[in-house]
This record gives sequence, structure tokens and C-alpha cells, in this order.
Amino acid sequence: MDTNMQNTPKITKESKNKIRVEFDRTPLKERLKAKFLNLYFFQQVAWIIFRMVLLVGISYVVLFPFISKIAGSFMSPEDFVDVTVRLIPKNFTLDIYKAVLFELDYWEAFFNTLLISLLCGLLQTFVCCLIGYGLAKFRFKGNNIVMLLVILTMIVPHQTLQLSMFMHFRYFDVLGILSFLSGGASIGFMPDSFNELLAGIQIFKLDDFALPLTNTYWPLAILSATGLAFKNGLYIYMLRQFFTGVPDALEESAYIDGSGVFRTFFTIILPLSIPMMVTVFLFSFCWQWMDDFYTELFFTTSKITLMPDVVDVPTSLKTDYAGQNMYYAAIRNTCGLCIIAPLVILYCFGQNFLVQGIERSGLTAE
Amino acid sequence: MTNEAKLQQTVSAPKTKKRKVASLDKKKARAGWVFVLPFVIGFVLVYLPIIWNSIFMSFHSLHIVTGGGYTLEFVGLENYSDALFEDPLFVQTLITGMKELLFDVPAILIFSLFMAVLLNQKMAGRAVFRAIFFIPVILSTGIMESIEGQNILGTMMEGSDSIDGSEQSTASEIVSVMDIERLFYSMKIGKELVEYVVKMINEIYDIVNRSGVQMLIFLAGLQSISPAIYEACRIDGCTAWETFWKITFPMISPMILVNGIYTIIDSFTTDSNSVMKYINSVYQGSDGQVLSSAMAWMYFIIVMLMLALAAGLFSAFVFYQKRD
Repeated sequence: MDTNMQNTPKITKESKNKIRVEFDRTPLKERLKAKFLNLYFFQQVAWIIFRMVLLVGISYVVLFPFISKIAGSFMSPEDFVDVTVRLIPKNFTLDIYKAVLFELDYWEAFFNTLLISLLCGLLQTFVCCLIGYGLAKFRFKGNNIVMLLVILTMIVPHQTLQLSMFMHFRYFDVLGILSFLSGGASIGFMPDSFNELLAGIQIFKLDDFALPLTNTYWPLAILSATGLAFKNGLYIYMLRQFFTGVPDALEESAYIDGSGVFRTFFTIILPLSIPMMVTVFLFSFCWQWMDDFYTELFFTTSKITLMPDVVDVPTSLKTDYAGQNMYYAAIRNTCGLCIIAPLVILYCFGQNFLVQGIERSGLTAE
Repeated sequence: MTNEAKLQQTVSAPKTKKRKVASLDKKKARAGWVFVLPFVIGFVLVYLPIIWNSIFMSFHSLHIVTGGGYTLEFVGLENYSDALFEDPLFVQTLITGMKELLFDVPAILIFSLFMAVLLNQKMAGRAVFRAIFFIPVILSTGIMESIEGQNILGTMMEGSDSIDGSEQSTASEIVSVMDIERLFYSMKIGKELVEYVVKMINEIYDIVNRSGVQMLIFLAGLQSISPAIYEACRIDGCTAWETFWKITFPMISPMILVNGIYTIIDSFTTDSNSVMKYINSVYQGSDGQVLSSAMAWMYFIIVMLMLALAAGLFSAFVFYQKRD
């Protein structure tokens, strides 16, 4: 080996645009040794393996309930008393699915819930956009108070209000107007003759002098249209943070061009925030779909079948043998699976919106 | 004199006739009210009556009249004293609930911060893991939560040796709790800490389920930290441990405040909360509706106090990086 070759690489001109540099490369073995046989590399590999094991383990914890439900849904009654059966069924059967999908009112509940979820999702998205935009971009008196009230609605747990919420919609009335018009009004400190006069006013007749709105879609629609439904405070907060991040220059240039406030909102701001709106819509749709608090509160009779009513044991599957409890649990779980199936499909397509929506909004900015 | 008056009139006349034009700010302020109008109307006409009614009813006793309708009777603070002194379980449940909250909030915060730091590193399948960890936020709520509450199937499939419903949690398969306990006791780092860690591992499923949103908030926060700071640290020879405590932790501290408040609110309003469960069972019981709203209000006040306390404590330690 020529000694001065190491110091001065030999440069030859191959063609007009190409040169070739020849220098001594360290042999492959040496290079690999230097790269892989050191502490740093081992640390990195150990860390990567540790991290992977941890992440896969925690993913398992998250996914296991679903895996066990899916496994149980294919089992036949004998499998539940068989000690050797754990996750893989011995007698594979689709009986449970058949019974749940066709014996219970699954499809009726499906379409009813779809209707409610779409209605609530769209209403909530639109209304929360309006409110969030109003809170983010306009400095009016009382702005902060309204924001505080929004946060208040987020903090008060809905269980606290369930009785009075039920009563409010069972005997629905706005400022006593309905009761006044149907002759049910009476004022304590006025003489009886005046109250009789009030009772005489009877433009239309109502039972209990109020509108019973339970067992209709109205309570949920009213709550959604006023931004008071489940977790709406969170949506409003998210959207407010998002709109705060939208540069003012956009609106200012629109105002200068003669566009009004509302036109600016509908033609410039809303199209800009479609990804954020999709996020909010998906959240509200999914949470409304899974909700059993409001639906059980407002739908007391079984006139309108909804998803919570589907969780039941079909009559054809009723048995009374040893593994009965297990079997019924499996059936209920299968009902749950059927309920979440549409959401799983939605999640596969929309998870990017859901996951990035929180990052995109400035929920983190404060 | 008259001339002057005339002059004044002629001068002032066009002024009064001039149409009053609101300034842009005023117009915008008005438009702002229009935007928040749905909420204000809803709050005044629906929410306030409901809240007022709920507080009002908690001071009354309710009698359902057969054939529809109900009558109210004012009983003062009787519901509250009933809940506190007569009901054998309420105070007990309240104390356990508070203990749970004290345990859950740090556990969820620590876990979600840890996972966010892990997921913030470059690696294969990051998006997949992120999607998996977010599943419970969407799918383990409402109906599924109530199905899960009475689920004995999972226990059977996890059980390593029996199906008689012996208490085998998911975590006990990943690491044996006894092993960890022994390991940490020999390290002599304090009994309380060991018990905390062990409890955290035992309830890992619950914690993972409830830290989806917090994890994303932390992740977004981590991504907003400028890489230049980390680079400067590396050049100065910081270890990863030092970098975490000296850079990441202070920079992420506002997010810890946000997440702490979110977690407190979230964990005391979910149905799986033990106090909420108890209040719900009272509500479903006979003549319990009014009592349950009294209990719920007491619980709400206590949690508000805790929230204020936590916010006060946290915000003392929060570091805000001054921008620009």
C-alpha cells in the first residue's frame, strides 16, 4: 500500500462533468465494528426494544376488552363451561349475532340513533362554531362572562341536574307563556278574581298546562341548538382557541372589500375551518351515539327504540344451564359490539381528524 | 343675540339630522352578541331554570301525586342533613371518592406525560399507537361503560388458572405485582411510594382508558417546544434525564395545569366515579330524587373547592415562556 495515498486521495477526471476520487476506505469489517460495537449503539437498541415492548403491552391493555368481546361473541353455550376454552372458540357459531341483529330491534334502533346523532352532531357543530367564533373574535362587553358561563356548563356534572332536567322537559314551558295561554297561570298575591280571569284565557288546551317533550327528539334538539348538550363546553372552548389562531388580517381584508360580518363568517371563516368542524362533528356524533344518560333520561317509554334498549338477551337464546351468567354476559357484550361497529368503521376513516383536531386546536395554548 | 341663536340653530341642525352611524367596534360588538345569542338564550331560558330548579328542589320534599303531577313541600336543609348524618353510606362514599380523585389525578397525569414523551420520539408505527391509545375516548363511554360494569366475561378469559371469577386483573399477567413490590421494598424508597406504584399498575386499564385526551394535549405541547433548545442542551452535554427535568418539564408545565383541571373535571363527572354511582343509585331508589340532587350539589361544591385548590397550587409552579 502506498503510504502517501492515504493523505492525498488520487483524483482523476473521468469525463467532462465527473471526477473520480480514489482513497483508501477502511475495510467493511472495521467500519461495522466501529458502528455497532459500542455502548451508544447498545443503549439505543435496548431503549428501542424496551419502548416497543412497553407500547405493545399498553396497546394490548387497551385492545384486550374488545378482543375478549369478539372472541366471546363467536362461542356457543358449551364453550363457556369448558375450562380449556379461553380466547378461541371450540364450537364456532354465529347464533348470537343472528339473534341480536334480527330478534332485537337492532335496525330500528340503528336508524333512530343515526337520526338523533346526525341531528345533534350537525346542530352542535354549527352552534358551537357560532359561539366559539363570537367569543374568539369579538371584544364585546360581557365576553368574559359568557366564556365563564360556558365553562360553568362544562363543570356542573349532568347527574346533578338530571331530576330538574327531566322535570323541565316533561313539563316544558318558556317563562310561563304556555301556561298563560292555556289558562294555567295564577299569581299568588293577586286576588282570586284576577286568577280566575287568567284561568279563563284558553287559547289552546294542554295537559298539566305545559308541553310534555319527553319521548320526543325535542329535548336533545333544544339542548344541542343552544350549546348545552353533552361536552358542548369542551367543543366551544376548542373552537374558540382555534378561531383565536386564525389571523385577523383575513377578516379585515374582507371587511375592507365590503363584506359584512356574517358573510365573512360564512364565506371565509367556515370553509377555512372545515377540518376542525369535522373533528367536532365526529366527537359529538360518536358521543351522542354512545350516550345512555340523556337517552335514558328523555326516552322513558319504549315507543322510540334507541341503542341502549338493544342491550338485552334475545328470547331464543334464553337458557338455564350452568354457564348461563357467562353466556348472558357474552350476549350483552355482543350487543355492545354491534352498537359500536358503525363507530369503529367511522374511527378507521376519521381517526386522523379526531387525533389531530385536539392538536390543531389551541386547546394547548392556555 | 337672536342672530347668534339662529346661527347656532343653522349650524346644529344638520348635526341632529345626521344619521347616527355606529363605529366599527360597536358594530362588531353587536355582531359578537348575535354570534353568542344561541348560548345566551339557552342559558337563560333552559339552563338557569334547570339549575335554579335543582337547587330549589334540594330544599324541598317531593310527593308524586297519583295520576300525574307532583307537590313540593319546603323542608329547609333536611335533605342535606339527611345525606350527611342519616345516610350511612354517603359520607363514606364521599371520602373514598376524594381519595380516588387524589390517587387518579397524579396517576393519569404522570402516565399520560410519560406516554406522550414516548410517542414524541421518532419511530415506526407512531401513528398506529397514537390511534390505539385514543380508542377508549370514543368507544369506552356511555353504553359500553355500563356494559363493562357488569362484564364477567373478561375475567374469565384473562384468568390464568380458573374460571371461577378469581380476581385476576390484566396487569397481573404483564408483571406480577408481588415481584414489583419485592423489588421496590428492597430499594428502600419508602412504603407509600411503593404502594402508589403498585396500585397504579393494578389499575393500569382504568388509567389508560382515561388518559387519551390528556396524552394528545401533552403531545401537542411537546411538539411546540423548539428543537433549538434541545440542541443547545446536547451541545452543552446534558443527559436525557437532565434535559427532561430542566427543559421539557418547565416548558410543558402550562399543559400540566390544563390537564390537571381537565382530569379533575372529567373524573368527577364520569358515571364510573364511585360518588356519582352512589348518587345515581339513590336517584333510582324510591323517593330518592330530591335527596340525590342535594347530595350532588354538596359533591359539586367540594369538587369545586378541590379544583380551586389544585389550580392555585399548580399555577404557582407553572412556567410561562415569554414569547417575542
